[in-house]
Amino acid sequence: MAAKVDHAQFRLIIPSQTRYLNLVTGLAKRASVVAGLDDATAAKVSIAVDEAVTNVILHAYGGEGHHSVELELRFTPQALEVHIWHSGQGIREDQLVLPDPSEYIKHPRKGGLGLLLMSRFMDEVRFRADEDSGRNECCLIKKIS
Amino acid sequence: MADLSIAVRQAGEVAVVLPAGFINAHTVRDFEAALEGLVQGGQYRILINCRDLSYISSAGLGAIMGLIETVREHGGDILLSNLQDNVFAIFDTLGFTQLYRVFPDESQALASPEAGG
Repeated sequence: MAAKVDHAQFRLIIPSQTRYLNLVTGLAKRASVVAGLDDATAAKVSIAVDEAVTNVILHAYGGEGHHSVELELRFTPQALEVHIWHSGQGIREDQLVLPDPSEYIKHPRKGGLGLLLMSRFMDEVRFRADEDSGRNECCLIKKIS
Repeated sequence: MADLSIAVRQAGEVAVVLPAGFINAHTVRDFEAALEGLVQGGQYRILINCRDLSYISSAGLGAIMGLIETVREHGGDILLSNLQDNVFAIFDTLGFTQLYRVFPDESQALASPEAGG
């Protein structure tokens, strides 16, 4: 007998190449609508997912395109969860420093805004390392209100 | 259809940039090259008309941020107009609407003092 699951979920594995970003963000946007989020919130979720996957491709994997990025979308009654796994360089949550937007305005420069967008557009953003598998995870959660 | 196409036209002293599609880490190089080309050619009054821009990530914001000081040092500016709601949300969330002048449409942007209007 098949195991019973208490939420719907599915997975997508993409190469670590930015050409697939549009596919991933389109999926995240549509998944958000399916989860019950409005269009404006769905757009914000898709941007947060774009930023998270971009960070994996460009920073965790250093732009190397021969790795894989695994995404899992979980639909629960309370939230849409997007889990992103990779085997590259992980982010340690205790070392995470979000940029101050007011400082950005005073001293404009490139970079560093992705994490800020993720944190502003999602209800929860978590990073963790799975020591058993050696993989790193970024988890984005948007609550269904 | 390509993820991003960019048209540039001249309106008096202002170069009007019209990105159409998506600006993300994959397409940002084209957007950046278009802006850099203008600045390197001495064009310091730039209006980005976002009418057909569906989406911009922080990579695209970074491309604009990377040039704003140079442009202003030369007495120019980068103006924005016709932002769709989700694009405006990104700029506004990060406080960038304080850094850039945002206009409802192109004609109002071109008539502004920053555009020499």
